[in-house]
Amino acid sequence: MKQYKQEYHHPFIIRLTHWVNFIAFGIIVTSGLRIYNASPIWDFTIPRDLTLGGWLAGARQWHFFGMYLFVANGLMWVLYNIFSRHGRRTTILSRNDLDGVFPMILYYLRIHKEHQLTRKYNPLQKLAYTTVPIIALGGILSGIAIYWPVQFSGIASFFGGYDTARVWHFIFMGTLVLFFLGHIFMVAISGWSNFVSMITGWKKTSTPPNPP
Amino acid sequence: MKSQRHLKLFYSRRKLLKLSPLLLLTGCDYSARGGVESFLGKFQQFTDWVQEKVFDPDKLAPEYSDKEMTPENGFRVNGYSTDRPDIDIEHWTLRVEGLVEKPGEYTLQQIASLPKRVMNTRHCCVEGWSIIPKWGGTPLKDFLKTVGANPQAKYIYVECGDEYFTSYDMPSCLHPQTLLCYEAYNKPLSLEHGAPMRIVMPTKLGYKSAKWITKLVVTNEKPGGYWEDQGYDWFAGI
Repeated sequence: MKQYKQEYHHPFIIRLTHWVNFIAFGIIVTSGLRIYNASPIWDFTIPRDLTLGGWLAGARQWHFFGMYLFVANGLMWVLYNIFSRHGRRTTILSRNDLDGVFPMILYYLRIHKEHQLTRKYNPLQKLAYTTVPIIALGGILSGIAIYWPVQFSGIASFFGGYDTARVWHFIFMGTLVLFFLGHIFMVAISGWSNFVSMITGWKKTSTPPNPP
Repeated sequence: MKSQRHLKLFYSRRKLLKLSPLLLLTGCDYSARGGVESFLGKFQQFTDWVQEKVFDPDKLAPEYSDKEMTPENGFRVNGYSTDRPDIDIEHWTLRVEGLVEKPGEYTLQQIASLPKRVMNTRHCCVEGWSIIPKWGGTPLKDFLKTVGANPQAKYIYVECGDEYFTSYDMPSCLHPQTLLCYEAYNKPLSLEHGAPMRIVMPTKLGYKSAKWITKLVVTNEKPGGYWEDQGYDWFAGI
């Protein structure tokens, strides 16, 4: 009989913030696309079915609810990762991880066959999980620039003014959506147990508990 | 034994069916949609409260040079329904009511005799586009002083020559860049831009810059607004 080891992978705070983030991100992206449609920056509009809020006022209500949820939840995630041993060891990219980034890319490109022996997250994942919050911060700051271009005029000029800040806000959103799609793909190929571990915390690994 | 159980099941199913009108009821009265909408409406009171706290009465909106200004042919009109406001420019007056010492009708000449402020500030539409026109007009705070408005009052409500109406918090009305605007690009306002007088409030979204104003009321009871009553945020600070 095949033996499984149960490994505690994701602490409660990580699981909670992960799923709250999933909801908040879904809300701000879809309602944001409806807001975009009210005055498109480029020559395209977003199909209505992909948007949330019905009309501009509804979309704004959703967006502003979603943004507070996103920011509060994100703050909790960041603080946890900075102040817990778990976060510092597993999530935040350290100098020691840098050497491992490139070999991991080669592994994913199927040039290297050997998966590096790493802790829970490999260096490439740590790079992603450290970069993505920075992109999200860009999304938040560019959002402040277009929500409060007068009260925070300094942030607006940092992004090149009100109109350019809108473009940046869209770019940050697009980058995060691309990460999300990549993330979904990686989850899909990593198997069921990996997915379940983000709900229960526990992950089944096929290695026997203690090698005889 | 088996048939009895079957009967019981059947019976309970019938009981369940009798309750089915309740399902319809929940469909109408307690729809998730209505619940979500009222929740979002409540949450909007929170975002408005934050907006009020973030608003700095001393913070000026950036003013731009004539080079950065939107050229006059780009001075966009956002007509939403009315192209023909009920305005007689010749005999227009601004009616002032409420918590003021000197209520009454004020003519354009009276208002324009107060010091004028000309400024190139950004007009941000809630839709997302923006323009930088050259505005000219009387700072509202100076006019409020002239009519003896109670600066302790909380709100100001305006009514327009079309169906439009909106309202403001007093601190935003006392902001030095809030204008009773009667000029754009050094010329009298055109009818489509709100002649003879409109509000210009660079610290708020465009729908707060009401055109064709006819009446101004100083009050302590929070008034609504044309768009605000339909779901747009009331404070609308930027």
